[in-house]
Amino acid sequence: MTILIFLGVAIIMVPLGKKLGLSSVIGYLLGGILIGPFCLQLTGRDAADIMHASELGVIMLLFLVGLELEPQKLWQIRKRILGLGLSQMLLSIVGIFIVFYVAGFGLQKSVIIALCFAMSSTAIVLQTLKEKNLFRTVSGESSFSILLFQDIAVIPILALLPFLSKSQKAIAQVDHEKVLLHYIPEWLQPFTVIGAVLILILLGRYIFIPFLRFVSRSGLNELLTAASLFLVIGVSELMISIGLSPALGAFIAGVMLANSEFRHELESNIDPFKGLLLAVFFVSVGATINFDIIASKPVFIFTAAVIVLGIKAVVLFGIGKYYKMNNEQSFFLAFALSQVGEFAFVLINFSAGLFLIDYQANSELMAIVAITMCISPLLMIFKEKILDKRFIKQKSEENVELGIIKQRKIIIVGFGYFGSTVGRLLKANGIRSTVLDNDPDRVALLRSNGFNVYYGDATKPALLRSAGIEEAELLVICLDDPEKNKFLVDYVKENYPDIKIFVRAKNRLDAYEFLNKKVDNIYRETLGTAVDMAVDILKENGMRKYTARRMGKRFMIIDKAMTRRLAKEKDENMVTFTLRETLEREAQLLALDSISFEENHWSGDDDDDK
Amino acid sequence: MQNVTFRDLYEDYPDFHIQAFRERKRIVDYDRIIFHFPIIWFGLPPLLKLWIDEVFDMRWIAEGQHNILSGKDAVIVTSVGGSESNYTREGKYKTTAEELLTGLCVSLDINNIDLKNTHIIYNADNLEEEQLEDYCKELSQILNTE
Repeated sequence: MTILIFLGVAIIMVPLGKKLGLSSVIGYLLGGILIGPFCLQLTGRDAADIMHASELGVIMLLFLVGLELEPQKLWQIRKRILGLGLSQMLLSIVGIFIVFYVAGFGLQKSVIIALCFAMSSTAIVLQTLKEKNLFRTVSGESSFSILLFQDIAVIPILALLPFLSKSQKAIAQVDHEKVLLHYIPEWLQPFTVIGAVLILILLGRYIFIPFLRFVSRSGLNELLTAASLFLVIGVSELMISIGLSPALGAFIAGVMLANSEFRHELESNIDPFKGLLLAVFFVSVGATINFDIIASKPVFIFTAAVIVLGIKAVVLFGIGKYYKMNNEQSFFLAFALSQVGEFAFVLINFSAGLFLIDYQANSELMAIVAITMCISPLLMIFKEKILDKRFIKQKSEENVELGIIKQRKIIIVGFGYFGSTVGRLLKANGIRSTVLDNDPDRVALLRSNGFNVYYGDATKPALLRSAGIEEAELLVICLDDPEKNKFLVDYVKENYPDIKIFVRAKNRLDAYEFLNKKVDNIYRETLGTAVDMAVDILKENGMRKYTARRMGKRFMIIDKAMTRRLAKEKDENMVTFTLRETLEREAQLLALDSISFEENHWSGDDDDDK
Repeated sequence: MQNVTFRDLYEDYPDFHIQAFRERKRIVDYDRIIFHFPIIWFGLPPLLKLWIDEVFDMRWIAEGQHNILSGKDAVIVTSVGGSESNYTREGKYKTTAEELLTGLCVSLDINNIDLKNTHIIYNADNLEEEQLEDYCKELSQILNTE
């Protein structure tokens, strides 16, 4: 029931937020506040439990991020992860510690607060990066590096906190909670992280991919969805059982699968679940804000929130500048990562469990975290609307040029005999494309030959999206089934009108339909080859080869022009042709042939002019 | 330029299949034809030659026939490799650039097309940025002349 309310408020608030130009995160948070105990009182006290359950959304988000990051790429940015991440953590911790210590919070408490507040919110930042499509930019990559480092840093912090506590009982209790880690000899424990990562890498390489291939051969879509979920949840459970961060595990599993042909299929399978769970997560953050606490100490909580945001933003901006980013990129870092993240919830609750902080402080800190999370999307808007205009000069368009040929983003759908011919010619000329095909054996074969092929059913919108249809400029549709081709054309024309479509048509009748769907580039698989054959037969009859070739060319031009004309003549409400009409059309064509082949026929092809 | 249509034959007919009827229909609408091409191995580019072969019709120049080309005028803008001194009787090639254009000029003349101007750019394979700009100015002047 609570879940129902959560989803309901998300459905109402997010489109409303979008209308006002706000990011979906704000919509969710506002929705959470609205249904929370201090407004409509629709949620019970179990909002925190729901938040815990929906952390699986964050895990899935990291899995998806991992999918977009190939292992080599990750290795390339290892220095940046360490440099940016470590400097951000240390400087933020020191800064926040000093402020809270000076404000009289005591040594131990200040340390804990600093550790918690140095974290940023993976969920909010990654959601922002995804929505604004910034993953491959400098600022996006840097944000991500910092977040990744924080994810790893949570592990030692969790291990460290019990030692701060003077209560032996608490240590015993915590020790008791850790399951597998406890059985490992003490001198080995520091190596568990490395060991777990290695195990995941091996699993990814030798178990996951063959497993997915095996499942995909069954040809059942829902089975693959189940397998994807099984993978993600399985990995996170595994990590929890050995006492490591499940998000980190999911991320590594994602990275290991980034090179596989299942990347886009996995993305499209996990994405809806992630979206759903993240939405619930954000709503529950909104719902857990304790307004009583805020109302009792408003000055303290808001100043604390602003100070924390300020310190983190300054540190981030400084780091951005130190790493030679421009103003825009540094501002992005400063504003995007300055909030306190969901890890803080975990750490604060954990500290409370260790009696390091009391209940009052616990609620106050939670409120500060939630407030920074709510303010953060507003900061992004401030940065985009005001700072970008004032400080940043117009960016020059960056076009990747291959000599004089401009590389456009191409998606080829269907890589059978037809599509693969197209793809091979493109590849031979150094033009890259993303290929989608739903035959697992063919996909495996093509990948071993260096083609950028992904497994999946391209008529599913989610797969098209994860293959990058939003940025694609050319869509090449080469499926064998004309109905699927038509479906794709309709879908893409409606949702992505700017993309240029090249479509394979079985015969003239298909071509009529595509023409009436306003597709310009139509390729009838029966035209070219048949004409080639006729040209060769003309040669056999003694016609000079050059003349025969010219006749073939002329025939093609006239035939295409006639197809256009006849398609126009038939109005749109005519969906299918009867056999009789088909024959009539053939007859019309033949009649037109005899006119147009007259040497001096000047008005042969008005329609052909572009 | 408003009243100038630019057509790149090698873009229009990449497979060398010139649609003669379409070309003839179009040509009627224009008063001037500007031939703009590089001289390749001392002759016209093959597609331009083919274009003339396909589009111009011998029957037009017969006695008493209507010729759609009659009364139009033309400009030739061409580029050659090598310096102007090479293209002289005494020079390396023992012929002038104008002479290499004889076939085209005769074809224009016999169709009663008035050749207004022949502009030849020498050393086209080796021009500095500044020279290119100068030539561009000259070309735009040529395009603007009545």
